[in-house]
Amino acid sequence: MSRTIVIDPVTRLEGHGKITLQLDNAGIVQDATFHVTQLRGFEKFTEGRPFYEMPNITARICGICPVSHLVASSKACDAILAVRIPPVAADLRRIMNYAQLIQSHALSFFYLSSPDLLLGMDANPEERSILHVARSHPAVGADGIALRQFGQRIIEMLAGRRIHPGWTVPGGVNEPLSAEKRDQMLSMIPAALAAVERTITWFRGSMEKFAAEIEVFANFPTLFMGLVNDHGLAEYYDGSLQVIDSEGNIIAGELDPARYRDFIGEAVEPFTYMKFPYYKPLGYPGGTYRVGPLARLNLAGRCDTPLADVEWRKFRAMSPRPLLSSFHYHYARLIEILHATEKIEALLANPAILDKHVRATASVNNLEGVGVAEAPRGTLIHHYKVDENGLITWANLIIATGQNNAAMNRGILQAARHYVQGDQVAEGMLNRVEAVVRTFDPCLSCSTHAMGRMPLCIELRAPDGSLVREVRRD
Amino acid sequence: MSAEPNIRTLCIDGVDISARSDQTILEAAREHNVSIPTLCHLDGLSEVGACRLCLVEVKGARRLLPACVTQVTEGMEVTTHSPKIDRYRTMILELFFAERNHVCSVCVANGACELQSLALTLGMTHVEIPYQYPQLPVDASHPRFTVDHNRCVLCTRCVRVCSEIEGANTWGVMGRGGQSLVITDLKEPWGDSETCTSCGKCVQVCPTGAIFEKTRAGSKVRKHPEFLPYLRIMREGEQV
Amino acid sequence: MSEVKTLATVWLDGCSGCHMSLLDMDERLIELSSQFQLVYSPLVDRKIFPERVDVTLVEGAVASEDDLKKIRKIREHTTVLVSLGDCALTGNVSAMRNTCGPQPVFLRVYQENADLHRQVPTVGVPALLDRVRPVHEVVPVDVYVPGCPPSADTIYQVLSETLAGRLPNLGGIAHFG
Repeated sequence: MSRTIVIDPVTRLEGHGKITLQLDNAGIVQDATFHVTQLRGFEKFTEGRPFYEMPNITARICGICPVSHLVASSKACDAILAVRIPPVAADLRRIMNYAQLIQSHALSFFYLSSPDLLLGMDANPEERSILHVARSHPAVGADGIALRQFGQRIIEMLAGRRIHPGWTVPGGVNEPLSAEKRDQMLSMIPAALAAVERTITWFRGSMEKFAAEIEVFANFPTLFMGLVNDHGLAEYYDGSLQVIDSEGNIIAGELDPARYRDFIGEAVEPFTYMKFPYYKPLGYPGGTYRVGPLARLNLAGRCDTPLADVEWRKFRAMSPRPLLSSFHYHYARLIEILHATEKIEALLANPAILDKHVRATASVNNLEGVGVAEAPRGTLIHHYKVDENGLITWANLIIATGQNNAAMNRGILQAARHYVQGDQVAEGMLNRVEAVVRTFDPCLSCSTHAMGRMPLCIELRAPDGSLVREVRRD
Repeated sequence: MSAEPNIRTLCIDGVDISARSDQTILEAAREHNVSIPTLCHLDGLSEVGACRLCLVEVKGARRLLPACVTQVTEGMEVTTHSPKIDRYRTMILELFFAERNHVCSVCVANGACELQSLALTLGMTHVEIPYQYPQLPVDASHPRFTVDHNRCVLCTRCVRVCSEIEGANTWGVMGRGGQSLVITDLKEPWGDSETCTSCGKCVQVCPTGAIFEKTRAGSKVRKHPEFLPYLRIMREGEQV
Repeated sequence: MSEVKTLATVWLDGCSGCHMSLLDMDERLIELSSQFQLVYSPLVDRKIFPERVDVTLVEGAVASEDDLKKIRKIREHTTVLVSLGDCALTGNVSAMRNTCGPQPVFLRVYQENADLHRQVPTVGVPALLDRVRPVHEVVPVDVYVPGCPPSADTIYQVLSETLAGRLPNLGGIAHFG
């Protein structure tokens, strides 16, 4: 008896998501789709706005990663101004970018996924929340809150506020860093390093419990893409784009992000508001690629900060080739928190970080600008066109999460085929299908430049449409 | 004929005060530390009574009167705050917010806007009147300044300062009621204006993010219109 | 000792920034958690909105058919409804598409800015409303909290007050933007 299973909403992720599973007469999952159910339209309604308002406006795409949009947007505006921003401004933006990486990854790991990872996928749904983790595992809860707070406080000290910090502006940043704040930030580093190292240790130790999940959580070959620097190491602010295949071969390197349209295309599917970016030379869906922590750790064999380098190499030692299971996003996220913390420390150690000249000024010198950065979830691209007076005539945004859209859909199908069979609709199975999506830490507000949430229920219906059984998650 | 102005005695909020006969209720109130909210008023510019936020009760008058353009009279009894007045003021503010597209969060004047501050002072947290969502232009043709009509409250400070202080008369008002628009010259792009001297006074007096300096966008916007009374004195050689 | 109240949080068409500001209460969230039971929220796995909730925080504007159905259901099952943040209060950035409407948005996103299979998605996704609307234009609201987002301190104040059975007035305390 063929039937449809709908998981609606997908919880413990950012944004609105719904999953539909199609089963055939033998009860085998034939198709799975991930619907993103909202759209706001930043690419259109920003038309007519002065370009220098774009950082502040696009920050409102997302409350978790506004800094990513502020940075990418400011860089696109820098290109329109045709300025080379003061080096200290680039470094200050880097610090904020790393701080956001830390708080966003901490949110994803501790607040959204730790209930599954600590309490188990089959734990009582009533207890799968950060509030319960804080009670049952207070040390972990404390580390999670502390790490997120660490990232947010750095942002606050730079910009005066934590969320939508419009201190990153076209031409640089608004205010220089004071010596007092710099010292305060440095004093917070040791505790942050200790917290994330503790977490990496217990998480790595617990991974064997998830051997089954690791096998089937979006575990398949795809391309991987991300920014790298001149030495081929992970780069989060500048650099060029690199694409590797699942064997680790570089199939495209030193790609100028400003020319992204040459190698990134976007496809539309009728069942979701989120588009499907793909690597153009290999077409769609053959050119499916993943971005974000797993991709970034696959692109480079090591990193340039000492503590994270040790962990990075351990991560890569799990396989001679790139890691393909999306479950490893969790592990990669923790290593990136460590790397980002060390990077902040290194940037603050440079006395030039206190330089006062932090902004370059100019008028419209180019009628087009592209800005790119590595957001927590992957590569983010802002592309604007303006008229002579600097009013936006057109905008295009390639969002990090969107680039994982095809992989997420395939991943749900893979997991559902493994966990959903015949008549069985166990609650823990549903949770695992959702947990696949959680590994990607999607930012669905960003991906459709919109947001929303939806309720969840599973209906088993006979071919005549009559309701056979209903499973609700309460 | 005496050159001295006459003195009037009046009562504001139950307190007897004296004022010059040529003073308005607003001036008299301010001299006695009674605060009345305003928007279109600005020291150094003429009064127009455009925004109606300074409405006060005057005993014997059938309607609320705008304090900025109502002269004091002997024995006048004025109430500046009451539940009825507060309701009127909040409604006026809601009308401002509903009439055009005021998105505080992404506005260049966020944190330095008199409309936003008034909403805070008057305790207005939401708008009951349906938002109009008009389609209004942004004119960025001037090399240094931009005017965004979505943020304009038609206070006409720009018109007055350009006429009374700078003397260029670049800014004007066209249309009526909901179709009103402040315009440069004969509704030409600001960058094409042959009268504008680029003095920037309109930028300094604009209470919202409607008129602003291009390079300053993103920085903390701080307006400085305090120079106006001084300029007025120098221009007209008389007491303000 | 005051009773434990049931609390729900919901996001409609917003950016989740208000929820992030709520989490910015840091340890205070855990302290407060002894006063409430989080019965429905993006942070927990309850999938059905409960029959009766004491306090619901709503972030985001009403922008799709789903948002509309959802907010009506929430109002029906909630005692104290809190409109949290500028999107819920005024429409804010979410309402910026109201000057052009959804059609030009679809054209830009799915025609001009797409390379393959250009079409407007309609399968399993809700229709967009012609106008994005503040929450109180659709259902009565009990508490209004301005800010984009409201600060963590403000949200802490709102939570403390509503959990204690009071309706705080944020006028004069929190401003838009």
